[in-house]
Amino acid sequence: MFETKFSAKDVDVFYGTNHAIKKVSVEIPDKTVTAFIGPSGCGKSTFLRCLNRMNDTIAVCKVSGDIRLDGEDIYAGDVDPVQLRAKVGIVFQKPNPFPKSIYDNVAYGPRIHGLTASKAELDDVVEKSLRRAALWNESKDRLTAPGTSLSGGQQQRLCIARAIATSPEVLLMDEPCSALDPIATAQIEDLIAELRANFSVIIVTHSMQQAARVSQKTAFFHLGILVEHGDTTKIFTNPSDQRTQDYITGRFG
Amino acid sequence: MIENQPRAANSIHGSVVSNARLKRRHAAETRLKAYGILALTLAGLALVALLWSVFGKASLALSEHYVTLPVSVETGDSALLAKADFEAITKDSIAARFPEASSREDRKQRAELVSGGAVFALRDAVLAQPTLALAPFEHAFLASDTVDLYLKGESGALADQAKAGDLTVTVDAGEVEFVSSQSDFTAILALVRTDLVDQAKKLRDKAQLQDNGVVEYTRRAETETGEKKTKDSDEAAKRAGKRDALLAEALDLEQRAASPEGREKLTDEMPSLLIKLGETWIKVGEIGSAAGKGEIVGAIPHQSAYSGKDWQFMVNPTPEASRKITDKQTIWIETLRQSGDIESKFNWRFFTAGDSREPELAGIWGAAVGSFWTMLVTLLLAFPTGVLAAIYLEEFAPKNRMTDFIEVNINNLAAVPSIVFGLLGLAFCLGFLGIPRSAPLAGGIVLALMTLPTIIITSRTSVRAVPPSIRDAALGVGASKLQTSFHHVLPLAMPGILTGVIIGMARALGETAPLIMIGMVAFIVDIPRGITDSATVLPVQIYRWSDFPERAFEARTAAAICVLLVFLIAMNAVAVFLRNRFERRW
Repeated sequence: MFETKFSAKDVDVFYGTNHAIKKVSVEIPDKTVTAFIGPSGCGKSTFLRCLNRMNDTIAVCKVSGDIRLDGEDIYAGDVDPVQLRAKVGIVFQKPNPFPKSIYDNVAYGPRIHGLTASKAELDDVVEKSLRRAALWNESKDRLTAPGTSLSGGQQQRLCIARAIATSPEVLLMDEPCSALDPIATAQIEDLIAELRANFSVIIVTHSMQQAARVSQKTAFFHLGILVEHGDTTKIFTNPSDQRTQDYITGRFG
Repeated sequence: MIENQPRAANSIHGSVVSNARLKRRHAAETRLKAYGILALTLAGLALVALLWSVFGKASLALSEHYVTLPVSVETGDSALLAKADFEAITKDSIAARFPEASSREDRKQRAELVSGGAVFALRDAVLAQPTLALAPFEHAFLASDTVDLYLKGESGALADQAKAGDLTVTVDAGEVEFVSSQSDFTAILALVRTDLVDQAKKLRDKAQLQDNGVVEYTRRAETETGEKKTKDSDEAAKRAGKRDALLAEALDLEQRAASPEGREKLTDEMPSLLIKLGETWIKVGEIGSAAGKGEIVGAIPHQSAYSGKDWQFMVNPTPEASRKITDKQTIWIETLRQSGDIESKFNWRFFTAGDSREPELAGIWGAAVGSFWTMLVTLLLAFPTGVLAAIYLEEFAPKNRMTDFIEVNINNLAAVPSIVFGLLGLAFCLGFLGIPRSAPLAGGIVLALMTLPTIIITSRTSVRAVPPSIRDAALGVGASKLQTSFHHVLPLAMPGILTGVIIGMARALGETAPLIMIGMVAFIVDIPRGITDSATVLPVQIYRWSDFPERAFEARTAAAICVLLVFLIAMNAVAVFLRNRFERRW
């Protein structure tokens, strides 16, 4: 198996007095798709957002424990979340392109991080990102059109292109297909499979089928606790915990 | 079809009870709609009435009149020209046209035909083209405000009266006795005499008051004794005497009003009667049914008999006492009008000149420029401060008691009466900073303080309305908080912010009270050239003009209101345009 990308140890998250994540410890390998599954409100999205410190923007949210990316503590005092987020990209549940052109949407990340030296280089990054997000063919003739003019599935792929344009090492996806139809979902899933070659992908999903289709590793969360974590095939065929068994067979959740 | 048949309970037509309820619900809806339409109609009518009255009055200020008179400067030497007494030259020009005015009062009235500012216009015209002075030339003098108002029909107009007889006149030392062969003046005499009845009624009211006194003192005297009794009896007798005199006077007036014979003296509170005999006019002072007496204005008539078509009888229904223009002035103006020496022009001066005490010279430009400088200062101070404060409070400030306290205070400041900001400006800008009085800089600072809460509140609302998903997206690709705010949140909130700013500025543009406190009500003739020059602003100019006694300022006030309205409507239109143009959907 690949080496460990993220390693979390005894992570606790509090929203005010609400204890949302309880003592979660997990190792996430590189160049692998890891699925977080679990019923609504179990803390899987919260945990995902801890991995690139998006929770910092919520004033009442307190994170404790130890989360390491390639062995470095991402909550250490000298880590700038801006730098971290360039390395750990995120795609949200609802497609949220900027109300700017398709080109500007993708180019925004490289621009603010100063990743490209020239316009030609930036064009190149935009094209590559759109190609990898399987949006190039549909959008190459209308790069100046607003990103919001695309269809829902295209918008989500644009958001993925925007996220991978900064060449992150990890891509976090928070239910990226929940607002999409089956065809768009299939396209995104193909895309995730391709992205695995270069990135470590962590996907939160409500669809057990999707988790089974795209992921190699699965983590099952319940009531803020990481119940079970392991190879996807094992979790879906032979879970060791009764709650996992109940959840994947549809007894609750 | 069977009516009144009970329907099934589950029919879509419903039961009797539910139908009655439905009917009431529909009736309530109809009533609400009717109230709404009624309210809108009333509001619309009120608006139309307001605009009608303002625009109607303002239209009077849009034209000005010029009187063309021959002028003779009688010097070609340009060195002497600059020192020439153009006031005397102007007076001489008018005097040459109407030499008949001899008394001091008449000469004064004659000089008042043209504006006080016409002297300077003549001087400028002559100095600009000194060759003019070599020979007599024609010059168009700006008419005075009273003449201008008369020409616009605001001081009553002369109306021709029907007459049938021939007129015979006898001149006797400036006075003239006239007799018509028919009873041409009966109708006007009756009109004059209704005035007598009014006067008699007033006298009778006064007599009634005296009578009350008589009754009261008589009653007191009955119960009293000694010295007091004598005093009160005397008082009663004195009042009875006054009462009787008043009653006799009233009776006399009533008898005069009733009798067809005799003449009546005309006062300046009665309509003015004028008779025109070719070039000569008679201002009637005494009138009977077929004859009268008057004063000659113009040349002495050289004939004594005028046939029906050679004389005109005119009435100005507005009494002389209720207008500023005198009968003599109207005669001179009518003479000038007949000879084609009066022309009307579009009043550009109103839009290009500064303030003046002479209504015909006053313009709005000084106040408009003052408003511009003031608004500039306000915008430069309030816009960046307000928007940055809003961004800080919404995006960066920790949510704690301090920010809550600040928010409450901003909301309270928005409700503070504007005059309080004026007092602050007086103490801070003038007292502490030492900014000169009446300066747009001080006015701008005060209005910026006044507008700031509005701008902060609307900007915060717009910033808050930007969906959080946009912030997440920006933060997700690694933008810093500052980049998120300025690259994404601010551009999206901008249409709303601009709308708020423009509406706040429009309010500031219409503000008077705080500027009065910092001395921007002063009389300022010069157009301000910067933010530290003395200036006034549009609403203050309107306020000042509305307070001036000259009637011609009424039209100018209305015209200034129109100018302000145009600015306000334009600003609101820009706000609407920006909102529609830049509104984005996400």
